[in-house]
Amino acid sequence: MKNKIINWFLWVGLIVIVAIIPKVFGAYYVSLIVTFAVFAVLSVSLNVLLGFTGLLSFGHAMFFGAGGYGTALALKHIAGLSLLSSVGIGVLSASVLALVLCPLVVRVSGTAFAMLHLAFAQLMYVLALKLRGITGGEDGIGNFPIPPFTIPGVVSFNMKGVPENFYYFAMIVLGLSVWLMWFFTKTPFGQIQVGIRDNAKRIDYLGFKVSHTKAVVYVVSAAFAGVAGSVYAIFHNLVSADGSLGVLVSFQPIINTMIGGVGSFFGPIWGTAIFQILEEIIVRFTDRVELVIGVTLILVIMFAPQGLAGWITTLKQRFFSASSHKLEKIS
Amino acid sequence: MDATTSMYVAQGIHGLAYGMVLFLIASGLNVIFGMMGILNLAHGAFFMLSAYFCYSVLNLTGNFWLALLLAPLFTAFFGIILERFFLRKMHAMGHMGELIMTLGVSLVILAAVKIFWGTENLPVKMPPILEGMVSLGGLEYPVYRLFIIGLAGVVLAIMTLLLYKTRLGKIVRAAVSDREMVNALGINIPVVFMVVFGVGTWMAGVAGVVIAPILTVFPGLADQVGMDAFLVVITGGFGSLLGAVIVSIIFGLLSSYGVQFLSQLAPVVMVGFMALVLAIRPSGLFGVKE
Repeated sequence: MKNKIINWFLWVGLIVIVAIIPKVFGAYYVSLIVTFAVFAVLSVSLNVLLGFTGLLSFGHAMFFGAGGYGTALALKHIAGLSLLSSVGIGVLSASVLALVLCPLVVRVSGTAFAMLHLAFAQLMYVLALKLRGITGGEDGIGNFPIPPFTIPGVVSFNMKGVPENFYYFAMIVLGLSVWLMWFFTKTPFGQIQVGIRDNAKRIDYLGFKVSHTKAVVYVVSAAFAGVAGSVYAIFHNLVSADGSLGVLVSFQPIINTMIGGVGSFFGPIWGTAIFQILEEIIVRFTDRVELVIGVTLILVIMFAPQGLAGWITTLKQRFFSASSHKLEKIS
Repeated sequence: MDATTSMYVAQGIHGLAYGMVLFLIASGLNVIFGMMGILNLAHGAFFMLSAYFCYSVLNLTGNFWLALLLAPLFTAFFGIILERFFLRKMHAMGHMGELIMTLGVSLVILAAVKIFWGTENLPVKMPPILEGMVSLGGLEYPVYRLFIIGLAGVVLAIMTLLLYKTRLGKIVRAAVSDREMVNALGINIPVVFMVVFGVGTWMAGVAGVVIAPILTVFPGLADQVGMDAFLVVITGGFGSLLGAVIVSIIFGLLSSYGVQFLSQLAPVVMVGFMALVLAIRPSGLFGVKE
């Protein structure tokens, strides 16, 4: 009971902090936090696939990019589209892409799954670069109109030029996404996912359909990556092949997840935060970002292979052995 | 001989030469993957590193043949260091750890190259013997491309002999099918792994040296050519030497004729071909099902 009250206080406190950040800090930090939230959602969506179902995707950027391009194209070509439906179109395009791919990809797992995604993401990337008429090639699609967020008859928030308003919108959409994904992993269906990761054959014998389950998880994960991509495109008012579909966009959530801890739900969020703070500090001293990222990856994988979450669990076990049962919950 | 035919032949030779370079890189990747189950994401970076070594050796001595000898050896040395001191610890963690480790190493190599050599395109002169054209049967062939094709053929022959005619090859092939059993028979598997990893990176190194005079040396080399080599391995099937040969040649020809006929969409043709193969056979053209 006491724990529950403390938890509620923490949540309320978090919401208050998120709400007052734009009032206290400048526009720079606001944009930093939106970027963080976008990549946190992308990383969590990757982890739903990787940590909970055991499928490593090297091409998650294609869903991120599909969301971004879907939203940008819709806003560019459909006049009078509302903000929420433009995000909806982005999510829809990511989900449709996943639906098209899933009959093929649910048949494989392991390295083949990872490589297949690298290949398809590369195909999407090349297509985005070459189909200039639709995607604008290297320049991408920029300067599309951003509609205000309206609840008809009640209120209307202008999104363009007011970073604060967009910040609240992005935080609500992305926060809702994280909450929905958390909910998703807690359902009985989520338990089947973990079962597939640990022993797909046994789940099959128990009468669950392994490939159907994988397909559903796959589409859900893609849809939330699409949310992230869509918000990112509106936030920058730009979607480009390198920024949304490049290999580094695919690797970023994997790195975040590794740092935070594979299989822990909140691990990727922590990982994103740590990585972004690290990057933020690094670029002030040196422009050798790759070097630091590379060294970080090597150090993490050598000394804290389970990421931050695993590291904390180990510490907990060592010092408060009574709480060791939490290990099972996390892994 | 009319102009159209000679255009086709010239593009064919270019494609074949590029395919052979891809084959050298891809088969290095394949040897490592087939033997150790490690997908070495740093392979492209080693390939680039070797091109830079080639540039430096050439600058110091002015001898291309010395560069061809030394640069791959240096590269293999770094590969062995990676295997011995970094990758070996990852083995217990499964593929995830190895992928992340090699990804980190490739980023570090990329950064190091930029620190030591800068980011501009460095020209590498080809040796005078290999410059110019040779005419055979009324057609002109660029000598250097023929040299690449020949060299790759020699490396392929050596690899095949090594794998199928020597004791070491026998051990390697046995270890591919049952690692524990070979280890139990008293063969030092870790050392064999180290040698195999060294040979794999050595092949990437050879490819890096031979491509340096054509493409010049620059940090984007790892992404540009390395990525193609990854696609070859995926399409041909992991661990399949035959698949690597066939798919590299197909990719090389696709890329050179693709540039000729649909300049914009040439990369799409390659990736499209791969997607088609994988849609029919998810484990690649000659891959074994997992």
